[in-house]
Amino acid sequence: MKPAPFEYLRPGTLEEALVALDHDDAKIIAGGQTLVPMMNFRLVAPERLVDINGIAELSRINETEGGIRIGALVRHAQAARDPLLKNAFPVVADAMRHVAHLAVRNRGTIGGSLCHADPSAEWPLLISLLDGGIEIAGGSGTRTCTPGEFFFAPLMTDLADDEVLTGVVLPRLPAGTGMAFDEIAQRAGDFAVVACGATVEMGGDRIVSARLAFGGLSDVPVRMADVEQAMAGATVADIAGAVAGCADGLEPNEDMHAAADYRRSLAPVLARRVLTAAAGRAGGRE
Amino acid sequence: MTDTPRPDRAQTIRPKYIGKKVERFEDPRLLTGRGRYSADIKADRMVHLAFVRSDQAHARIVSVDTSDAAEAPGVIAVYTAADLPELPELSAPSAMKDYHATVCPALARDTVRHVGEAVAVVVAQDRYLAEDAAALVMVDLEPLGATADPVAALKPDAVPLHDNVPGNKVLERSFATGDAPGEIAKAAHTVSGRFRMRRKSPLAMETRSYVAQYDTGRDQLVLHTSSNIPGIVRDELARLLHLPGNRFQVVSPDVGGSFGGKGSVYPEEIIVVMLARELERPVKFVSDRLEDLTSTSQAFDEIIEATLAFDEDGIFIALDAEVIGDIGAYSIVPWTAALEPVQVVSFLPGPYRTPHYRGRVRGVCTPKPPTGPYRGVGRPMAVFAMERLVDLAAAKLGVEPDEIRRRNLVRPEEFPFRIGSGIRWDRSGFLECLENAVAAVDVASFRKRQTEARENGKWLGLGFGTYAELTGIGSRIAVAPGMPINTGTETAAVRVDSTGAVTATFATASHGQSLETTLAQIVAEELGVRPQDVTIKQGDTSLTPHGTGTYASRSAVIGGGAAIVSTRALLKKVQAAAGVLFDVEPDTVETGDGEIFVPGTNHHITFGDLARAVYSDMKALPLEARKPLEAQEAFDPWLGTTTAATHVAEVEIDAETLEIRITRFLVAEDCGRMINPLVVDGQVHGGVVQGIGAAILEELHYDETGQLLSATLADYLIPTAAEVPTLEVNHIETELPDNPGGFRGMGEGGTIGAPAAIANAISDAVAHLGIGVEELPMTPNKLFRLIAERQEKE
Repeated sequence: MKPAPFEYLRPGTLEEALVALDHDDAKIIAGGQTLVPMMNFRLVAPERLVDINGIAELSRINETEGGIRIGALVRHAQAARDPLLKNAFPVVADAMRHVAHLAVRNRGTIGGSLCHADPSAEWPLLISLLDGGIEIAGGSGTRTCTPGEFFFAPLMTDLADDEVLTGVVLPRLPAGTGMAFDEIAQRAGDFAVVACGATVEMGGDRIVSARLAFGGLSDVPVRMADVEQAMAGATVADIAGAVAGCADGLEPNEDMHAAADYRRSLAPVLARRVLTAAAGRAGGRE
Repeated sequence: MTDTPRPDRAQTIRPKYIGKKVERFEDPRLLTGRGRYSADIKADRMVHLAFVRSDQAHARIVSVDTSDAAEAPGVIAVYTAADLPELPELSAPSAMKDYHATVCPALARDTVRHVGEAVAVVVAQDRYLAEDAAALVMVDLEPLGATADPVAALKPDAVPLHDNVPGNKVLERSFATGDAPGEIAKAAHTVSGRFRMRRKSPLAMETRSYVAQYDTGRDQLVLHTSSNIPGIVRDELARLLHLPGNRFQVVSPDVGGSFGGKGSVYPEEIIVVMLARELERPVKFVSDRLEDLTSTSQAFDEIIEATLAFDEDGIFIALDAEVIGDIGAYSIVPWTAALEPVQVVSFLPGPYRTPHYRGRVRGVCTPKPPTGPYRGVGRPMAVFAMERLVDLAAAKLGVEPDEIRRRNLVRPEEFPFRIGSGIRWDRSGFLECLENAVAAVDVASFRKRQTEARENGKWLGLGFGTYAELTGIGSRIAVAPGMPINTGTETAAVRVDSTGAVTATFATASHGQSLETTLAQIVAEELGVRPQDVTIKQGDTSLTPHGTGTYASRSAVIGGGAAIVSTRALLKKVQAAAGVLFDVEPDTVETGDGEIFVPGTNHHITFGDLARAVYSDMKALPLEARKPLEAQEAFDPWLGTTTAATHVAEVEIDAETLEIRITRFLVAEDCGRMINPLVVDGQVHGGVVQGIGAAILEELHYDETGQLLSATLADYLIPTAAEVPTLEVNHIETELPDNPGGFRGMGEGGTIGAPAAIANAISDAVAHLGIGVEELPMTPNKLFRLIAERQEKE
């Protein structure tokens, strides 16, 4: 469990990083919480590692017009305690509690999690739920992806080998939107069997709009458009009916810890609990 | 001093240290990173090994091409079996009939028999370079087919794994008392089940690590090993490599856990020693976690089909069991493949009166790593099956689980009691532990909570796990049947040196048992010094002529017994010398807190004073009184002593997600006289946590071709603090066992009782669905399948 030999570069700026990535077999290292184990198992053996930890601008969280921008180097623990995020997207801190363990949360980064694109991981789900814009820098300039455009499959994204994911912009939700997150994992800190996040905007006793996203039910995080449509104009009492069988058409990955039908059975349960919790928090009612 | 009358001896007893909560002397070192493990050893010109291991379960080795690896940077040498003509083979002999010893070359020669078996070894300047080169070794394997399932492996069309093991059946053994099948046929009631515990890894925090150093000038070899059986490693390697014991020292320095996984002799230990001598350089091998999961011995993996017959009152009449033990590819050295599965049938009747018993076990070879000793050996599986049957019987009669146990446990007046397999229980608190646990949990109020919770979508369950185990086993009983190694004797040497300091030497090998503290408490109390002034030396074959190590809940009973008899012999010498010095009768001399005195007189010196008088001062004592203050005695309890406990688990299952939470866990145990309650609690806690792992998390998943699917700690799940409730431990002392200290072994019980208790608790929680637990670990995913299968049937 020792990595194969590699060349190590630590650029100080994004421009230098892009130059360093102009190589046949280079890989970015940020928190290293996924890449280093994979290298130790020799599942990957990049010839060059480009360490982006020296690029200070990538580790900031700041307000933008209409939203909040999270730099790619922001650590899970940093995101969990950030006051801007806590205020605008409390669901982030809720979700971060489920990311592995403290040591991993102190090192692992949002950019790394998105690029690894594990369908059970918390960040891909959150970015899907919150319609985040994924910012990518390359030799020919910068571009922004939607989650739907970005995630292809586990370990496979729209990011090219010579590009850097620089951050994510989360558009603000209407004031008073309730949010909630929950997941089922075999042990505290394990990858989710199924994870679920929701946002709910209430108008009186009626749900004005709702969003529902899952991890662990497919190759990529899944938004539940049908449920979201059914929720508009419904009441909290309608939630259970609306989410019944919501995962029936999906083909979750099976592994030794969870069969597909077990994962599917969890979806309506989590959806009901999370949507109900989000509705309860909407309008500052909690 | 005055001439007050000398008090009665009974009133001047030395300060008592046995039974005191003495904080562990190991902790300051181990908790601040100042421990010294095998992997910490550095030496000039040291080289590092990486093994090339089979990625197939069962295959013929067509060729191994090491030429590219040999040319790689930093590589000193690459070896296959063909390059080492003197390469020894590991084989575990036994006098047991119907047993076939397997042969395992230290590097695979013609055939590989499990994924992870070593095929070649690279020697390089560091482990990185060694792994780089290992990746260049080209191994051409021709698949021979594999029958990984143990039931299928016994069938005529199975692929045979060894030429000398017909039908893959490596052993068979039966026990019978009375006529169990006949009684079952005519009994009023029977319950049956097919129980299975899945294969598990011992998973010590420190992986297996070995460093061999060869002093060419003195022709001396030293092996530092993470083993918990350094004496057995020394004896076996000395035999295989033709080394006299005085030129071959095996040292177990600080060892970070074993749980049985470091308690066998391993091919890598042989290779490290051979190469140190061959290359005349220090050789280090530190296995990584992947190697640990694929080449360290594994645990359990048995299937029990059993039936329990009982009368209208729930009194047990007969027990019948067929056991298949999947022992993996090789019969483990030195214990043999019989160790784990035979103990399953030996202990299956447990602490209950079951007049008729028949149990048969067959050990089956499959292409997986060998099973070996694992904390609890055989009994976790036996207790799981029996305790499930007991609860099934209770359910059939509509009585509470505690009541049926009360009716069938061996009663105090019935000891010593021989169970159907021949195991003899000496007096232990079977019923006392049960009643203590029952009082603590209050079954009636639990039933109320259970009913209320079910309305709120929570399934609560309460489960008992009652067991007895044999510990501190003397030389009358082989740890594994027919095995030619004496594990029942322990020798201690205790001495006062010329500075007055006390050192006690043992052949034990503590790897978490706290023996540096507990043995020091014993020596201190017996000699009359303070525990912190006693240094315990162990885990080094150069210290003792013979000894085996620490395993099988033996060190407190047998090592502690040796400590007592040796220290008492030393005390006699101390009294004799002091008697001459004081000019009094030796038996009037007392000791305590490091001082030697005659009560009621002004004769009062320290151990240092006496040591000076004996060793250094040429005038204080006549020549004939200057005898070394040293004593060495052996202790062998001949038989074993019984430790008993009742474990109680309470679980909560989410009716929608099927998540299983253990919400309460209580242990009521009788381990005789406690040496140190902190250490007893720690052992119980650690054992129960491993039992929780076995019950709800830990499983080595092998596919039908023998590939390991759970080869990382992301897939092989062990309990973390989040999965473990507060553990309550109640200590019960009944009659003390007949050994010098009154101690019973208690290092394994946590692992023995917990899986059964949790299985019964989960079964209780889901009983209203018409299902129960027959397989461990039980997970939400498996519960989902059980419920679905049940619904399909309806």
